[in-house]
Amino acid sequence: MKYRLLVFVMIVSLVLTACGGAKTPAASSGPVTISMMMWGDPAELEVWNQIVADFHQATPNITVKVEVSDWDSYWTKLKTLLSAETPPDVFAMDAPLYLDYQSRGVLLNLQPYLDKNPDMLKGVYPQTLEAYKTPDGMYGLPRDFQTIVLFYNKDMFDAAGVAYPTADWTYDDLREAAKKLTVVGSDGKTTQYGFYSDLWDMELIWSEALWAYGGDVINADHTKTLVGDAKAREAWQLFHDMMFEDKSWPDSNTAGEYGGDPFLAGVAAMTTIGHWAVPGYADAKFKWDVAPMPKGPAGQATSVNSAGFVVGKASKNPDASFEFLKYVLSEPAQKRLAELGFACPVLQSVAESDAFLKQKTQIDQKVFLDSLAFAHMKPVFKGYDEWSSAIGDGMAGIWTGEAELDPTLDEAVKAADDVLASSK
Amino acid sequence: MEYGLKPLGREKFWLWALLTPTFIGLIFGALGSVIATVLLSFAEWDLLTPPTWAGIANYVELFKDEKLLRSLTNTIKFTVLYVPGVVIISLFVAVLMNRRIRGIGLFRTAYFLPAVTSAVATALVWNMIYGKDTGILNFILERLGLQPVCWLCTNNAMYAVVIVNIWGAIGEGMIIFLAGLTAIPHEYHEAAAIDGANGFQQFFRITLPLITPSIFFQTLISTINAFQAYDYIYMLTRRGGGDSSVPVVVFSIYRNAWNFFNYGGASAQAIELTVIVAALMAFYLWLERRYVVYE
Repeated sequence: MKYRLLVFVMIVSLVLTACGGAKTPAASSGPVTISMMMWGDPAELEVWNQIVADFHQATPNITVKVEVSDWDSYWTKLKTLLSAETPPDVFAMDAPLYLDYQSRGVLLNLQPYLDKNPDMLKGVYPQTLEAYKTPDGMYGLPRDFQTIVLFYNKDMFDAAGVAYPTADWTYDDLREAAKKLTVVGSDGKTTQYGFYSDLWDMELIWSEALWAYGGDVINADHTKTLVGDAKAREAWQLFHDMMFEDKSWPDSNTAGEYGGDPFLAGVAAMTTIGHWAVPGYADAKFKWDVAPMPKGPAGQATSVNSAGFVVGKASKNPDASFEFLKYVLSEPAQKRLAELGFACPVLQSVAESDAFLKQKTQIDQKVFLDSLAFAHMKPVFKGYDEWSSAIGDGMAGIWTGEAELDPTLDEAVKAADDVLASSK
Repeated sequence: MEYGLKPLGREKFWLWALLTPTFIGLIFGALGSVIATVLLSFAEWDLLTPPTWAGIANYVELFKDEKLLRSLTNTIKFTVLYVPGVVIISLFVAVLMNRRIRGIGLFRTAYFLPAVTSAVATALVWNMIYGKDTGILNFILERLGLQPVCWLCTNNAMYAVVIVNIWGAIGEGMIIFLAGLTAIPHEYHEAAAIDGANGFQQFFRITLPLITPSIFFQTLISTINAFQAYDYIYMLTRRGGGDSSVPVVVFSIYRNAWNFFNYGGASAQAIELTVIVAALMAFYLWLERRYVVYE
């Protein structure tokens, strides 16, 4: 069915291309309506409708129409609209995918606007701006960011008599604690695991651990995959040993039985994930809190990634669109985002205020901000999606327990390098 | 292979009047997209910048893309297991359902239910059946003193998804076969019974030859469905980034088009799939001329 759908969407996009040319540009003065598209869930839509209403009140001649889709449909829809040259004026962007769009010339260069508003980015965490910089300026602005931290189930730690994780924990401490927190029933079945994190995408655990062990993900000019180098292998080996020797980390088949999130299901004592998980975990039937990522032989490391907004190059209302982006970075909008609780605000004054630190979910929110001190940026380069799939798909067999670690890793690195060579 | 009644006079008018909406849909919908796909398969297109002529590069890639070749093997393996499964089991079910007993409607509905239920919802239920530690199937196996099996692990996942897909297709197959079975005049069976033919003889000598048109049709439809199978497989075996532990060609087409900015390559893969199905159809039509009996 999907295949038929695909053909259908393609035709729709062709028809839309034909219609697109007929539109006349809107008058520059007077009230304008701009369209804004993003991924998200209903709770997020509600907050964004609030932000948009606030914005309309502050700037009465601009109205923003918000459209929210789930992650997968969002990108399909966006690509179709872009190929028809009728993109929304403003749309959400995930930093790692940014260059895939920017390099294809569909985004508006915001640099001229930024030059006219030199104070606009004051007070924004510089780590969150990095991803959007290109040689000829910024084509996007962040709205919020994610750092990855260690989440732990307090009830399970208490029951096992294990001390809570601290900022000084190493990966060895993590492994030891995970072993102690693993419970095997009398029938030989594991009823509780010490740790679980998903290994498909780099963001949840593996890029952090590779950096902490002194390895890296990809070289600076994005021509060579480094996940198979000696130091990186130590981190992979650790995951492998925890999963298949200690059996304190469920393999991916087992995790699938718990809806892919054994921590939320209450069968894993620890996990590593970003702030987006907080609203979902808030409903969990156990007490939990967060701690910084553990240290490795090369120090402490986590990953920082930001979501932001870009303006379509084909937008008829670039000025109004930029006004909205500017508002998103203002204190009132950032405060609303902080209260939403899906991510960390990029405006430092809001992140460090009670709006973020004293949220409904009573956890140590400061951990997310302090993690910036040792955060590496999630890599941003053209061809990211295909490259990360080559590694994620290539290594999947290891995490189901059906493939050997080292040869499979070698193969995945080769496949990833092939992608880099072909997307130059 | 002409059969059935020929439309005459006023009937001809209605024939065309009723077919027109479908034709319009086919010409403006399907035909347009078929042409677009053919053209794009010779182009390099990332959806965002204008397509550029790529010659046969996308077709050359079909033979070099290891992931695609593996997917193709999976699609073929899936088809070989799925098509006979659907045809034989739904024929068996249809024969069982082809009798006048109390509550037969209930049974027929039960078998047809998967066809009208959301594949996503039923796949979630199958996930609960197949689970390694928490699944119902392994619970039963263990009660019987057998070793639990990892049904959705790579080695078994193919069989597990084939079973679910067959289960989902029995209903529609049953309807086709029931239509064929009810069209067989009772007299044939009665006459055979008087001559002393037992149930098996009646089935293989009378029923089976007379429903060859239904068998032919069902085989054809199942083959097309097998090449397009996606939703159950996705729900049962999905991994990150739209991948699956049993990726079939449709996964490759979808990901190349929508995740990897490779619309041209995806189009070439779609054409490849079409050519394979078309070749199979030609083979089936050849078989039809030789073996299918129309009254």
